[in-house]
Amino acid sequence: MIPIQQVLTISAGLFCLGLYVVLARRNAVLVLMGLELMLNGVALNFITFAVYRDPERFLGQIFALFVIVVAAAEVGLALAIILRLYRLRRTANVDEANTMRW
Amino acid sequence: MEQAWLLPGLTFGAFTVLSLASLTGLARRIPGGGAWLSIAAALVSFVLFWPVAADEQARGTHSFAIPWVQVAGLELTAGMAIDPLTVLMLGLITFVALCVQVYSTGYMRGESRYSWYFAALSLFVTAMLGLVLADNYLLLYIMWELVGFCSYLLIGFYYDRKAAAEAAKKAFVTTRLGDVGLLIGILLLFRATGTFQMSGVFHAVETGAIEPATLSLAALLLFLGAMGKSAQFPFHVWLPDAMEGPTPVSALIHAATMVAAGVYLVARSYPLFSAVPGMLMFMTLVGLITTIMAAGIALVVTDIKKVIAYSTVSKLGFMVAVLGAGGAGFTAAIFYLVTHGFFKALLFLGAGSVIHATHRQDLQELGGLGRKMPLTASVLLIATLALAGLPPLSGFWSKDEALVALSQRGPLVYGLAILSVFLSAIYGARLWFRLFTGPAPTADHESGPVAEDESEPGTHALATHDAPVAMALPMLALAAMSVVGGVVALPAVGALVGMPQGIGSYLFFHEPEPFYFDAGVAVTSTTAALLGLFVASGLYWWRIWSPAALQARFSRAHALLERKFLVDEVYQWAIDHIVLASGRLVALFDRAVLNDAGVNGPGVVTVALSALLKYTQTGRLANYALIMVIGLLVLFAAAFGFAM
Repeated sequence: MIPIQQVLTISAGLFCLGLYVVLARRNAVLVLMGLELMLNGVALNFITFAVYRDPERFLGQIFALFVIVVAAAEVGLALAIILRLYRLRRTANVDEANTMRW
Repeated sequence: MEQAWLLPGLTFGAFTVLSLASLTGLARRIPGGGAWLSIAAALVSFVLFWPVAADEQARGTHSFAIPWVQVAGLELTAGMAIDPLTVLMLGLITFVALCVQVYSTGYMRGESRYSWYFAALSLFVTAMLGLVLADNYLLLYIMWELVGFCSYLLIGFYYDRKAAAEAAKKAFVTTRLGDVGLLIGILLLFRATGTFQMSGVFHAVETGAIEPATLSLAALLLFLGAMGKSAQFPFHVWLPDAMEGPTPVSALIHAATMVAAGVYLVARSYPLFSAVPGMLMFMTLVGLITTIMAAGIALVVTDIKKVIAYSTVSKLGFMVAVLGAGGAGFTAAIFYLVTHGFFKALLFLGAGSVIHATHRQDLQELGGLGRKMPLTASVLLIATLALAGLPPLSGFWSKDEALVALSQRGPLVYGLAILSVFLSAIYGARLWFRLFTGPAPTADHESGPVAEDESEPGTHALATHDAPVAMALPMLALAAMSVVGGVVALPAVGALVGMPQGIGSYLFFHEPEPFYFDAGVAVTSTTAALLGLFVASGLYWWRIWSPAALQARFSRAHALLERKFLVDEVYQWAIDHIVLASGRLVALFDRAVLNDAGVNGPGVVTVALSALLKYTQTGRLANYALIMVIGLLVLFAAAFGFAM
């Protein structure tokens, strides 16, 4: 079996990659994709711990399923918002959506 | 008699109806402006006074009360007590009020706010009747304030005249100084005895249940209230200014209501005052200062109403001085209050008649009216002689009793009292001679500043007429009382009205004062009065001496009198330099500390800080996310650090 450290490293790597995308990218769609990467990292983390530490009760797997479902819903909502933003501004650049600023 | 509440009740009813009518404008539709309603109430009150008095004589002092306030630990009753003092005051108030109101129908005819005038008069009478009927200090205080308020309304009746509006304010504020003392005094007594009932308080005084220090302080504070209302030095300044009100109001204020309240309070609380050592002497001192000072000023004032006003101040001082002379003084002072009420009301009504006829009230513009106004001249002569205290007029008997009481206080007090008699004869006679004898004023006076209210300047002298019936009848009634009002002091006459030993057996403090006629005192005071009349005749009638030369000879004394002993100036200085200065200090505190720092301060700080904080709101999503991440990392670090 693969040592748990390696799997966790992959999970953390996924999360950090997603975080970087969220922070660095300007395109709202790419930001959204970064968010998905982070969620997947988290889900992998859940499953890893479930399989390695408590294989009897599938708790981690259930959480992962929840994450996927919530992520799907969130993408649906977020894409709708981005679509509206694009219609309004002719751009999906998040830095330009700054009218709520002082 | 339990129905005694009807006396103030009726006049209050008249006030309610008339004030509502004048507020809603319905008064114009009532025939006669509704004055008859007010007069009817006063008349019925006056008629009801007799059974009340008879009942008091039959049953003696009695009281009755209804529950008023009942809260935990405090039960108050609103009640009335009827004793000789109350009865005398009731008679005086209802009689003078009736005369004044009838007179007012003539004097105030055609006045706008005619109905409101009568409404206010009725309320005034109500308050005063309630004041003398009250059997506890709380009720008395309420009525006391109501009296002050009504005087404010009536002194400021011509509120569109600046002088009248200011005089009303001055009267209200000056008497308030004393009222505060009265209230504190009443509360002190309540704290010491647990009751507002006068009988309870006096009982506590007699049994020595009140600490001497508290008792002295309370008595002093109560006297302060009386000083304010009864215009004693140094609170006398409001009374002469109160002349801005209509003349019948002056008559009411000076004879029966308002100023009588202070003397009444002292008489009513006599057990309290006489229990405090030195208090009576202090009263005599204040009274004598007031009486001499005011009599001096009355010698030089040229406004007829102000002459009479200073005469009132002087006479009130005399009453207070007499009150300070012990048991005999108690009887004499109230007796004097009553007879003074008659002739002082008459003086004012007579003066009002002159003002009504000539539209002038400055002595320098008046004169030689004797032939044109014989009735006014003769009733004013009676009033003046009663004021001087010549036998057998009412003023003689009451003044004589008062002087007998004062003579026990030592030669200095007695001498000053005789001096005040002498002075009052002079100023009274001066007023009369200058009004009714001598030549009519010359033309250059006619064209003075006052003349402009005449449509044709020349017609003034011709238009002068004597008082119409509505004004003449009350004057005659008061003149009759001024003549005979004093003889009840005589045992033979007193017996007819149920006072077998004269007034001293009816109204007394602790023990009856038998009628006591001191020939020495009577001769001395009559001589002093005659001497005063002689001096005034010489100056203003025979004109063998010249007032102008006298003024020049004693110019500094004259200037001091003209400036009224500088009391007003001292007040003005104190207001400018003490009251306003401390007011500015308070205003500064309010503006700088309360407003700027306390209220605006938090707002300013919030705005300033948020001006800095707003730069953190960049509007860039990435920045927010980064800050969140950093925050999370810090939290993790803290958590791990804490765990390890």
